[in-house]
Amino acid sequence: MFSLLGGIFLGWSLGANDASNVFGSAVSSRMLKFWTAAVLAAIFVLLGALLEGRSGIETLQGLTQLTLQQAVVSSVAAAVTVTVMTVLGLPVSTSQAVVGALIGIGILNHHFNMTGLGKIVACWFGTPVGGVLIAIIIYKVLGAFYNRLNLTMIQSDILIRCGLIAGGSYGAYALGANNVANVTAVYVGAGMLSIFQAALIGGLSIGFGILTYSRKVMETVGSKLVRMDPFSALVVVLAEAVTVHIYTLVGVPVSTSQAVVGAVLGVGLVKGIKTVSRRTLVNIAIGWLLTPLVATGISIAFYFAVHLHYIPGV
Amino acid sequence: MFGFLFKKQQQIETLIFNYIENFRKTQKLFSDAFTSCKSDPFCSDFDFLTKQTHKYESRGDDIRDEINDLMYGKALLPESREDIMRLLESVDKILGHFETILHIIKGQKVVIPDFIMPKVQELFTFSLESCDLMLKQIEALFSTQQGIRELVSDIDLLESRCDHIERSLISAVFSSDLDLARKIEVKELILMIGNISDQVDRVSKRVNIIRMKRIV
Repeated sequence: MFSLLGGIFLGWSLGANDASNVFGSAVSSRMLKFWTAAVLAAIFVLLGALLEGRSGIETLQGLTQLTLQQAVVSSVAAAVTVTVMTVLGLPVSTSQAVVGALIGIGILNHHFNMTGLGKIVACWFGTPVGGVLIAIIIYKVLGAFYNRLNLTMIQSDILIRCGLIAGGSYGAYALGANNVANVTAVYVGAGMLSIFQAALIGGLSIGFGILTYSRKVMETVGSKLVRMDPFSALVVVLAEAVTVHIYTLVGVPVSTSQAVVGAVLGVGLVKGIKTVSRRTLVNIAIGWLLTPLVATGISIAFYFAVHLHYIPGV
Repeated sequence: MFGFLFKKQQQIETLIFNYIENFRKTQKLFSDAFTSCKSDPFCSDFDFLTKQTHKYESRGDDIRDEINDLMYGKALLPESREDIMRLLESVDKILGHFETILHIIKGQKVVIPDFIMPKVQELFTFSLESCDLMLKQIEALFSTQQGIRELVSDIDLLESRCDHIERSLISAVFSSDLDLARKIEVKELILMIGNISDQVDRVSKRVNIIRMKRIV
């Protein structure tokens, strides 16, 4: 059980950080009470993890062969990477940190599934691009439908409010289904947990992170989305959820933050406005490149550290 | 069917229509006060009608406060809250102009000279006509959404007419034999009446922007 703590900590921090990508706009604009959003997010994350978390877990556990000790090392290395990158102020993807840590262990084991890695890296490229494309499609289709409804101001408000709650719940479902693999897949690979147990423990730890520590992030990070008009905020939430869900079906854990940035860019392209600054894009690119590299380095360093032996008299 | 879920939003809608109705009543009282006593600020009804105008103007403030309380009690999206709050603030300025005009007539005992009376009446009528159109436009914003843009043009036209009348009135006043103090007094009253259509025009454009913002 003690060995699981690294994964549970990773799940907790993932829940605390990533819930803002799905319910941030509704909470920071005071459309939804934090507790309502947090409970909805925690429930849907758990549902997503249990119902559709399997494929991501299978992908990650198939990357390399792990002993229990290596699973713990990779899990802690990923958690430390996320913390270091956050302290440096760079946008970080938990999925990239976990895969980076597994690459480190794979290098030491001289065993790595390159086909699986290729699929994952291709999806990393595809996440922001998918976010852009899906946001454009949703904006155009939903926009045409919305305009035809000829709603009054209050009706439009009610519709968007309901949309943000439904979209947020769907986003939480996709988050749980997609990202639960980051939390506990290594323990399945090490033979410590079954896939169901991994999905349950992973889902619960993400939900715990949402319930205990996501408030501040939801109220601050979410406000960046609300600066857009309400319809665009709804499109961003839906596009992020659909993008992440598609990668769940492919079986690759991806970054919800990168999907959100892609969706925000997509909305900007449709409206012909600049929604993301050049500096943000540069930071994302740096984070995107550095996260797996740093995680690889840290996992190798940790692996050596746990194998150090004290030899008296030398 | 799911109306009970959106009780606050429905309350806000009802209160906005109450506010519009209250505006109409205030406008009617203002019109009665002005029309009956424009040439005689000491006429018997003036005090009563001025007090009634003030009473309804205050009632408008109360309704506005109630709407703001509801909106900031987690009803409506932040953008809509801001739009409604600013819209009602702009409309409220018109009610403020009504009161100020009556207070100028009463406090400064302004008597409108006969030679400009027909033109002042025309300015007054057009100003109130623009108010009627503005109320229609606000009602459309919260109901059918139809004709908002057309009403912007109609109001704009009335505002231009009012501006034209206002300028010709001031010119006529300063070309007359009235003493300078009276000229300035009458000019102030004319400008204040002219401010009604100017403010209505601002409100009308704001309503149109609110509608445009909600077209994707």
